[in-house]
Amino acid sequence: MRNLKSFWIKKKISKFLSYTFLIFLIFNVNIAKSFSDNLEKGEATIQQMIKEAQKHAIDTIKLEPNERSLKIELLIKKYINLDFMGKVTTGTFWKKASGKQKEMYKAALLKQIVLTTEEHLNTLATLSYKPKKSEKRGKKLVYVRGLIQDPNKKKPDVNLLWKLAANKNGSFLILDLEIEGISLVSSQKAEAVSILRKNKGDFDILLKKMNKDK
Amino acid sequence: MTKKYKFLFIKCITAAFILNGCSSSTKLVSENKDPFEKINRNVFKFNKYVDQKIISPISKTYIRKVPAEIRSGVSNHLQWMDTPNTIINSALQTDMENTILASAKFLLNGLTLGFYDLDKGETVVKKRDFGSTLARLNVAEGPFLMVPFIGPKTTRDFTGTILDRQNMATLSSNSINDLNLAEIPINIIDKRGKMSKTIDNIYLSADPYIKIRSFYLQNRRNEIYSKQYIENKNNNLDAEFEKLLD
Repeated sequence: MRNLKSFWIKKKISKFLSYTFLIFLIFNVNIAKSFSDNLEKGEATIQQMIKEAQKHAIDTIKLEPNERSLKIELLIKKYINLDFMGKVTTGTFWKKASGKQKEMYKAALLKQIVLTTEEHLNTLATLSYKPKKSEKRGKKLVYVRGLIQDPNKKKPDVNLLWKLAANKNGSFLILDLEIEGISLVSSQKAEAVSILRKNKGDFDILLKKMNKDK
Repeated sequence: MTKKYKFLFIKCITAAFILNGCSSSTKLVSENKDPFEKINRNVFKFNKYVDQKIISPISKTYIRKVPAEIRSGVSNHLQWMDTPNTIINSALQTDMENTILASAKFLLNGLTLGFYDLDKGETVVKKRDFGSTLARLNVAEGPFLMVPFIGPKTTRDFTGTILDRQNMATLSSNSINDLNLAEIPINIIDKRGKMSKTIDNIYLSADPYIKIRSFYLQNRRNEIYSKQYIENKNNNLDAEFEKLLD
């Protein structure tokens, strides 16, 4: 009788352990799968964007400057999280801005990114992009690393680091780009916060300075 | 051993002893320390004026008129002339791999006086200067400075630049020193030409002074600090990003 009881208990324990192990396994496999899914999605987003940018550089070369800027603007809008960039580059001052000021700041920021991209777009068409190691950071972020290389080896390699996160629809958008360790968001933040601090958080002054001579 | 070589030797030995006594971890420095901002801004205005009126036009003409092959040769030669500094400072930082690579590259390219890169960029040598050696010695970065004609520096890097120049003067003969002096303006024009688009773009920004300061500090810290510094910087940024994404 006692043997039967201990057999029954042992069976129960082993059943419990097997279920726990199974749940643990499923949970871990899912996490690992979602991790690798996110990495793949992040990498695919960047590769797709580079491909489109290189195609754009060739297709838009004969267009009028304004028309070309408009096309580049559309391309950039598709891949960057402008709301996030607006928030992160103005820090605590973002909350003090009115809805209109926020929209105007985002537009000025986009204009700056378009200008920078335009300058380097023709060069990008002749260079090649080589993806490097990607990694999942924290709960939401994905780092995608890559290298811009000159096939003729006349220019040095440029290391790039894209920081991405999924939006509500699940598609990955760029939050920041580091070129050779220089974060574009950090330098924009240093500039915007310094102007806002000196002018008691007045967004209109910042916007005026951002839109000068452009 | 002549007096000047003795002096350099003693300097190297002392630095090596101090380096051995120091830990390899680097101190994290506070962001954008700029107590001299007012003076720096005035110097920046002066540098910008000199750049726009003199250096930029000369560098644009240099790019337009001089063939790319010659410009590349000049650029290679200037880098080659600076390699002894990298060799000395890599050794002081106990980075033996970089010391050997830099020495080998210096000797190889010495066959063409550095005008032609004989290994065609295959060997990647990390540029090392006395500023980075001081950083390895855990010397704090100090306040940010805008130096007339030279541009952005931290106090530590400016001290490093002076010591590097002195090293070169100690190592070279008088005729090479004269050549070095002649190379300074060529170096400025060459660098301005290479960074033309970036600099012109910075001038268009809302506050060019802050932009230059931010670019310089980020670039310099990435060049000289360890992976641990970069990881800490990324962790801080990640935490800020995640908070804003919530």
